[in-house]
Amino acid sequence: MPAASFAYGPLTVLLLESNAERRQLVAEHPDAVQVTARLPLRANLTVLENIAIVPEFRRGESPDAAARYASSLLERIGYAACAQLHDPDLSHEERFAAKLLRAVALRPSIILIDRPGRLLPDTHYPPFVEAMLAALKGEFGQCWVLDYVWNAPLYPHRRSSTSS
Amino acid sequence: MSEPHHRVPAPGGGGPVPWARTGFLAFAALALTRILSPAAYRGAALEVIRKQIYFTAWQIVPGFALFVAVLTLVVTLIVGATARDYGLYAHALELVVRLLALELLPLLTALFVGLRTGAAMNTEVALMQINNELEALELVGVDPVEFEFMPRIVGGTLAVVGLTAVGIVIALALVYLVIEGIQPWSLPPGDFGNVVGKVFGVPALLVLWLKAIAFGLAVTVIPITAGVATPKRLAFAPISVLRGMVRLFVAIMLIEGLTLVAGRVV
Repeated sequence: MPAASFAYGPLTVLLLESNAERRQLVAEHPDAVQVTARLPLRANLTVLENIAIVPEFRRGESPDAAARYASSLLERIGYAACAQLHDPDLSHEERFAAKLLRAVALRPSIILIDRPGRLLPDTHYPPFVEAMLAALKGEFGQCWVLDYVWNAPLYPHRRSSTSS
Repeated sequence: MSEPHHRVPAPGGGGPVPWARTGFLAFAALALTRILSPAAYRGAALEVIRKQIYFTAWQIVPGFALFVAVLTLVVTLIVGATARDYGLYAHALELVVRLLALELLPLLTALFVGLRTGAAMNTEVALMQINNELEALELVGVDPVEFEFMPRIVGGTLAVVGLTAVGIVIALALVYLVIEGIQPWSLPPGDFGNVVGKVFGVPALLVLWLKAIAFGLAVTVIPITAGVATPKRLAFAPISVLRGMVRLFVAIMLIEGLTLVAGRVV
């Protein structure tokens, strides 16, 4: 169980005390699609292709329809400019956006953003992630953020809080 | 210890593809099953096949043609001169055509593609495995066998078969010019067509193209399998390529030996 959890905009932030606790939580939610530093983009595909292969393979969409869908997702979050870039050419923010949209393209019930500090080391990530998910409203069920308790002060506008 | 993950079932059900846990033969069988499945040839996979054919075959046609031309000239002149010295010049044309078209060119094409594309494929798949890119694809419901491996196998095999055909055509044209066209000791007109027709009988053609397909499968499946079997440590990448290449050369020699025996039997 997380040490604390609270709602932060469209997110549910789960604050954890250790890596073992994080692993356990991940294991307990096999239905969640992860956005994590451990699972990279396909290096020889563009951002657009990394996102478009999901609807193409999962839902059998045509290549054109899948590309249009991926393009529309990128436009919604304001990252259309990086559509033709490959992973090594991406900033941390662009890479996070691509990974998030790859997860969103699955239309999952739960997206699990694993330690956003590792994904966005140079960004004040709570408002950044909140804004991005707000722009994608309706494309997924819930979004959980797994973070450590010592990062709690980074979430200044938390709306409700519970502790275990 | 790696953390557990949810594996999204591939389209069509059946759960995740256990590509990472199979041995070589099981993986080859799995890949061949996918090759024969029309459903696997969807847009993204077709795009990878197109790229594979471009990089493996089309891009190297000029260099490969030059290599074949030099090889053909050297072999033809050596065999022609030697046959003439021994009073066997009447058999020189058949000897050269058999040696080049049925044996040397398919073998050297496989080695050429194996060195160039097989090594690159082995490295790429090993890095994909080490960086968790294959796992990441699988977790978002994209079957790596269908999206990454099958197109490389199909594209690479078509490239080997295509380059073999191109090599044979170039070799035959040059052999014609050297032996029948521009030498003072030319054979009587008409011999070239007769000899080519005799060498390329149906059984020989069957063995030739089966061999080319087997070479194509070997130069793609073996490096991919070696790449997939790489432990997730960067230091293992060169070891993976080394193992893959050694296995590939052994396999190429085995195929050559087997088809040689088959050629004698049929």
